Parts: sequence; C-alpha cells; structure tokens
Amino acid sequence: MASTSKDSLPSHLTHQENIDDDLVPGACPESILNPTDSFEEIETEMSTDPEQRHAKLTTKSSTISEIQSEIGEPSKDMKTAKSSDDLKEGMASSPSSSNITEQNGDDVDTDKDEYLQSPELVNKEKHVFILSSAGKPIYSRYGNEDKLAGLCGVIQALVSVVEDHDQDILRSICTKDCKAVFLVKGPLILVAVSKSNESETQLVMQLTYAFNQIVSVLTLTQLNRIFEQRRNYDLRRLLAGAERLIDNLLIFMEKDPAFLLGAVRCLPLPEKARENITNAIISTCNKIRDLVFAILIAGNQLITLVRMKKYTLHPSDIHLLFNLVRSSESFKTAESWTPVCLPKFDATGFLHGHVSYISEDCQACLLLLTVQRDAFYPLSQAKHTIAEKLEKMKCIGAINDALNRSKDLPTTNPLKHIGIPIIRHFMYKCKSTAQLFTSDPISLDRLQDYRIMHKEGGDITVKKIEKLSDIDYVKNYRKFCNQIHCATVPAKFIFRSNCENTILAWITNGFELYVTFDALVEKEQTKKAVDHLLQWIKREENRIFIMNAPTF
Amino acid sequence: MIDVESKINSFFIFNSTFGPKEGEELKRILFFHPSQISADARKIQVGLCEAVVKFMSTFSSEPCEALQTQTKRYIFYQPEKNYWMVLVVRIPYATKALSSIGEKKGDMVQPSIMQNLLVTAYKMFRMFVGLFTDVPADVIYTKCQQFFTPYILSRCITNDVINVIQGINYLPLEKNSFLKIVCFIDLLEINFQDFKCIGFIYNEQLIWNGLSTDDMLTLYQYLVQSLLPKQVEKEIQGGAVTAAQRHGRFITPCDGIHTDEDIDKIIKVYLKLEDDTETKQYYLIIYRTLSATICLTVYADKTLELETLKSLDAFIGPQLYSIASTISKQCTLHALQNAQLANTENKFLYFNRINLAFKSSVPINSLSPSAAIKPEVLNIIAGIHSDRKSLGNYGEIIIKTLDEYWITGKSSNEREFYVIIQKKNANVIEIAEEVKQVCEAQMKGIFFYPM
Repeated sequence: MASTSKDSLPSHLTHQENIDDDLVPGACPESILNPTDSFEEIETEMSTDPEQRHAKLTTKSSTISEIQSEIGEPSKDMKTAKSSDDLKEGMASSPSSSNITEQNGDDVDTDKDEYLQSPELVNKEKHVFILSSAGKPIYSRYGNEDKLAGLCGVIQALVSVVEDHDQDILRSICTKDCKAVFLVKGPLILVAVSKSNESETQLVMQLTYAFNQIVSVLTLTQLNRIFEQRRNYDLRRLLAGAERLIDNLLIFMEKDPAFLLGAVRCLPLPEKARENITNAIISTCNKIRDLVFAILIAGNQLITLVRMKKYTLHPSDIHLLFNLVRSSESFKTAESWTPVCLPKFDATGFLHGHVSYISEDCQACLLLLTVQRDAFYPLSQAKHTIAEKLEKMKCIGAINDALNRSKDLPTTNPLKHIGIPIIRHFMYKCKSTAQLFTSDPISLDRLQDYRIMHKEGGDITVKKIEKLSDIDYVKNYRKFCNQIHCATVPAKFIFRSNCENTILAWITNGFELYVTFDALVEKEQTKKAVDHLLQWIKREENRIFIMNAPTF
Repeated sequence: MIDVESKINSFFIFNSTFGPKEGEELKRILFFHPSQISADARKIQVGLCEAVVKFMSTFSSEPCEALQTQTKRYIFYQPEKNYWMVLVVRIPYATKALSSIGEKKGDMVQPSIMQNLLVTAYKMFRMFVGLFTDVPADVIYTKCQQFFTPYILSRCITNDVINVIQGINYLPLEKNSFLKIVCFIDLLEINFQDFKCIGFIYNEQLIWNGLSTDDMLTLYQYLVQSLLPKQVEKEIQGGAVTAAQRHGRFITPCDGIHTDEDIDKIIKVYLKLEDDTETKQYYLIIYRTLSATICLTVYADKTLELETLKSLDAFIGPQLYSIASTISKQCTLHALQNAQLANTENKFLYFNRINLAFKSSVPINSLSPSAAIKPEVLNIIAGIHSDRKSLGNYGEIIIKTLDEYWITGKSSNEREFYVIIQKKNANVIEIAEEVKQVCEAQMKGIFFYPM
C-alpha cells in the first residue's frame, strides 16, 4: 500500500555504513504479520478529504465469507450475527428502561459542570469518551457516563456544527497543556482529552483501537445496523462487559511501546523450542479444515502463530487478542468458546475462538480461531493433543523460563548482556515483520505492575523522578516517533542531547530504532554503540523474533 | 515550489460579554475579515469558537490555543480577558499520494507562525490604539475596522524565516562610529528636552534602542515591514536623491511636517519608557536622512509647536547626514563580508532570546523575502524553536530529512544557533564537525557550545 511508496528511495544508510536489507536484524522473507504501518494509515486517513473518509467505513469485502466459500462451507456467518443481534435487541429494548436512562440524563444536565469538577474526573491525565452520533453516552474512562449526558451533548453539537456548516471534520482542540482529539467513526464519536505528551495522531490511533475493541465485540455490520434501525439506541446494553476491555486497552496502550510502533512483541525463546511448539500445533491441526489461525501467546507476547495460507493478521488485531486474554480471568478456569471479530482481518463478521490456557502451571494461552461456529469439541480435542505434545517436548519449561526471566537467558536483561554501559534503554522494530524488541522484556510480575501503576487512577502527579522507569523512556520516545512518522516532513534520523539524556531515533527501509544514552556522550560513542547493538540483535534474532511464517 | 503562501481564510475578534443575550450575537463580533462574509456565517464561526473555548475550559485552566479541522486551522489568542482574536487558515489535504511526488509537503503553515502573527497584530494594535479594554465600547468596532483591515491585508502568512523567529537585526559598528551616534543622541536630547530618542535604525538594522526589547520588536517590525519599505519605494520612484532627502525630513505623516495641520496628523503611540511607571501616550516622530532613520517621542500632553519641529529639523538634518555617510562606508565593508557569508553553502541562523538579536546567512528583509530555505526545513526549525523545553538551557538536536537535509539546532545560554546542510551519504559525525566549523567561522565569541 501507500505506506511503502517512500521507502523505495535509494537507501543511503547514514549512521552506519552498510546494512544490507537482508542483514536487517529480524527480517525474514515471509511475515506472519501484516506489516502495514497503522500510524501511517491513520496519518493518511486523517488527511484525506471528508467524503472519502465516510465512504471508507462501509465498503469492504468479507474475508470470512471468502474463506468459507473456499473450504466449501455455506456462509452462516451473517445469520449468526443477526440472530445474536435479535436476541440482545429483544432482551434490552424494553421501552421503560430506556425512558429511565433518558430521564436521568435530563435531570443531571443542569449540574453537569459541577460533576466534571468532581474528584472522580478532575486532574486526570487522559479522558476517553465514547458516544453515539446522536449524543448518547456509551463509555467514559472515568466517572459515570450517565452523569456525562450534558458533556456528550456538547461534544455531539461541536462535531455536528463543524460537519453541517462547513462540510468539514472536527479533529482537535488544544490549549497549552491539554489536547482534545475527536474521531467520528461510523455511528460513533470518540473523544480523548489528554494532558500527556502524545501527539494528535497517536491519540487518534488509540481512539481507533477503542473503536476496534467495540467492533471486536459486535462486528461493524451489527454496529452499523443497530444505529440504522434506531439512531437513539443506548449501545451500553450491548456492550456490558466490554467497558472493562476498553479500560484495560487504554492502560495497555499507554504503557506498551508495541502500540507506539504498531508492532508485536514476541516471547524470546530458543529457536528449537519455538520450532517444536509450532510443529506440535501444525501436526495436530493440519487436518482441521476451517481453522484459520492458531495462536499461542503469553503475557502480551506472541509465542507462535500458525495460519491458513494466504491470510495474515495485522498487529492491531493481535493486540486486541492480547487484551482480550489479559482482561478475561475466566479463560484461566475453563476452556472457552467465544465469538471474536478481528476488525483488520474482517470487520463484518465473527471468527469463533477456542481459548484456553495450555496447562495449569503455564501462563501461555492458546487461541484456535475458526470460521466454523460449532467446532468446540474438535478444537478442544486438538488443544489437549497440543498440550500433551508440548509437555512431552519440554516446551512448557522453556516458556516458563522466558516468562519468569530466568537469569541465564541473554534476553532477560539485554542491556547487561550487550554490555554497553552508556545505553540506558532501547527499542527496535523490524518493519518487514512488524515485530519489536525492547531492552525491557515483559515478565509476568511486570504485567501486574502495569495495573498497580495505574492504581493512582490516572491522576496527574508531579513527582520528582529519581530513576526513570521503562515506561518513562517510552514516553520520551513519543515525540521522536511522531516526527519520524509525520506526514508532512518526516525525519529519517534524529539525534538529540540535552542535560538529561541523549536520544537517537533512526528509521531505515528495514527497521526503526530508538536508543536513550547517558547525557553528554560523544557522537562517536553513540555510533559505535548502535553498531554493536544492531550486531547483538542480529546475533540473537532467532531467539527474539519469529523468523518464519508457518502455515497449516 | 519555493514560497508557499497560505491564504488567510478569516480573522476575527470577539468578546462574548458584549452581547450576552440571544439575538445580540453580532455585537460580540468586534471585527471580522473578510468583510463580505454574511452576518449569519459570522455568527456561526464565532459561535463555534465560543463553544470550543468553553468546552476546553472544563478540562484545562489554560486558554484555548488551536482548533484543527480537516480543512482549516484556527489559532486563538486571548490578549486580554474575554477578548479573543482568532485566525483561520485553510490547510491543504496532505495526502500521501501528493507528498510522495514531492508536492504540498511544506504547505502546512506552522501553528507557531500563525500564533506569532496574532500576537504581533495585537501588539501593534496596543501600541497604536491602546488596550482593548481602554477603547470605549461604542467606538471599538470602528477602531478595529480602521486598524485591522489594512493590517491584515498587508500580511501574508508565509513560511518565512522572519515569521518563524521574530528577531531584530542589529548592525554591528566599530566603536568610534557607535559613540558618534550616542553623542548625537545625547546632544539632541539635551537641546530638545521634551524629545526622547527611542531608536536609531540604519537601512533595516537597529543600532540604538531606547525601549524595552518587547516594545522595540513591535516598533522595529512596524518600521521594517511597513513604514520603511513604502519610503524606500518612494525614494526609488523619485529618481535621483533630492535635496530634501539629502538633508533629511520627517517621514510621518508621509509628506512631512510643514503646517500646523500636519502636526495633528503625527501618529501617537502607547509606550512605557524607561522612567515611566505606566504606559503613556506619546507622539511618534520619525526622521530620515539617506538610509538612517531616527525615532523620537514626545509626551502626548505636550503641545507640539511647528517652530520646535522646524528647529529640530535644522538640528538633526546635517548631523544625521554626516553620521549616515560614516555608517555607509562601514556597511560597504560589511557587505563584502556578507557576500562571503552568502557564498558558504551551509545556511545558518542565530537568535538571542535576551536581546532578540537575529543573524542569518540568508537575506532577511521584506524587500527580498528569503526564498533560500525550503519550507520543509523551515518547518523543522520552527518546531525546534517553539519547543524550548526539548533542548533546555543547553542542548543539541540533529535531524535528517528524507531529502538529505541535515538540520542542526543548538541551544546554549538563551541563544540558539541553527545550521542547514544538504549532503548525501554523510553521517552524523561529519555533520557535527561541519557545524562546528560554521559556528567557529561565523559566531566566534558570540555563541559558545563546547562539544
């Protein structure tokens, strides 16, 4: 797509003399992930004209029906969506309940300004509001959205004034310390009000994720249909439970650089172990015709992904799966059968997923995604076979070692292993495979950390920073990422030193690299360090990246 | 595409407290440009801005600064409580398809440029008309109309160095010449006690400043961007230097001061001079000989006599002529040096935040707008310049663009230094070395950066 057009310029790698494309650490001929850059996609989408944007949401063919027709399966999917739709519609649309909420909305309208100043809402780093295009509140990150009917009315009015009078689209408003970013997508309006240092594009990306999270629960087809039928529909009835998914996703996005780079983290594993796991899955599942993806994940990291030929997943769909697994405690206790829509893969329909943890003593979760809606038993069977095979081949131990950051693994503390003391932090993305590696691999306890760190409730706190946490480093990279991906004047290389640190950001045809050094280091030193760092990643690439793209 | 002009879509000033009731919306609009926009359209535009300001006030105590839609950018500035100035600029859709063929890239006008334009417009208004709050409600509409219509029409928002970094071009002089000027000013102020010299400019370069740097910048911009270009044009049209020009003359009002009526036409300004405790109104008298321009003020309560001005003319005329000739000789020397500067391939910019001194290898004056820096590059410089925190008191940034431009920005001790190098296959170490050399050659003893 358009994302690669400018990369075809002759490559003069500047900082380091010659890294041939085939030497790019982590690059491999075929990728399991679709490496389309979502950042650039959003930049492009943001700057196309209004009419095109509206058209974009509706026209897209269904990948799921394509697969179904290929394997000779009648298309049941549309029916599925409809029946569940009818069911929920019937369940929730008793007129009395809708009246009650509406009345409530009117009652609190008068004191909504006071509510916005209440401790629940004031001084938050980032608010996210989702409402219907009719102005009905659907989701608020903080506080009670019922009491925010007034605010939602204002947002809806702002959006529609700009739309109606100027045939224009409201994008953002800012003050010195605060940005409000608006995204109108289909029947929904999404707004982020942020005092963080994220750019407009980065916030739009987060809102797009939030939208995709809703689509993932409902499918775009159903979402559109609901509002076609009843513009005033209270979507919260259908989204019960999804609030938590959005809550978690928002925290996840603020903390994990995977979102900033549009890439997926892989669990570092010995090459052999990963190969064994992949083979165990392939040998078990290659007879199951309707299986589209088999994905093994642990702690927001990908262990392996086996796919139907021709089909790849986009990193943002994987992120949604990570979020789903991480947010659902119930998967831990029992095998589950759940419909899931992957918006980038096919926003119009559901895939059906068998989700279960591989064993009681291992945090790895296996997702088997199929187009068949009643395949629970064969998939459950397959899962058990896979689990047995993994146990037999001692793969579970390898996964646990990696997750527990066993000390003798080179990837447990990469900076120590690389041995360049002036490097404080780095993150690396291989562009062709959309995978990333950072100097702070996630471990299970760190995952818990994220939630603990958010315990303060997203309030802005002014604290004296003594030692930067990994998240602080990533926050510092945001501006650099933005400048490197900016649509108007993209930079290829940035070197910045001030009294706090030295940061280097570098993008080539093959990779993106961000490094934080000590303050006041010599440029020669940084050059040597970067060369050394890339060599190290190259040497370890088979461990830290998935270097092949297995199919059933 | 060298100099991209983005047209001002609209510019307006409103104060919501002027027509608080429904149906009085038009009263809130103090000024609206372009004037052919219908009343309804004005109300909608202003209404939207009011709503946006209110919306943001629920989340932030800072005033609203910008509103971005798909096709327009609105920049807000609230110079005085409840008075909002809004500038709207159309932005092109920078689609990927367009940018990949090398077009439209630099079209995006930096928000900082728009913000600068608003702030400058307000400061001009404040200097020549006074504070918004001090203008009586019944005349504010006409005052705004009279001031802003010509002002906004004379502005165009270009991605130009002078719009990105607003500084003052100082003329460095050898010390005897400088002392000569100072003596002349002292003598003048002793002989004409009511008169204060607030500025001495040669061509477009400042030599002597009697104001705070902030007020000076506004006065300097008025002279250099508006008054002097008109004068120079007139002088060129007049052909050979006339006797009057040789001996100097008052240039405001534009035909000089010959009668008592002319005295009434002298412009008045609001300034806070050295000994003042508050802003006062002064007559602004501008006198020019050859390329030297001198600005004098007289407290507005004083009555100006034609006789005084005539004897002032007789006093300044010959002296200024001799001074101007001395400076002219020195400038010829400078011009030679400048020619050398221009010859160096690498462009540089220097800016001192304390005295607003600005120096550049590219020509900067309104007569020959600098087309030398590509808009994309200028955008990056604008970005560095407006984000002071990033470099702190002491820091360096090197950015490489897609088309092999290397932009280096250094900040040290409130001074900024930028070098632009276009070089293929270079690496950051070579670039840093080259920047060091430019700094050494051009800024020795002025800009220090040890690394």
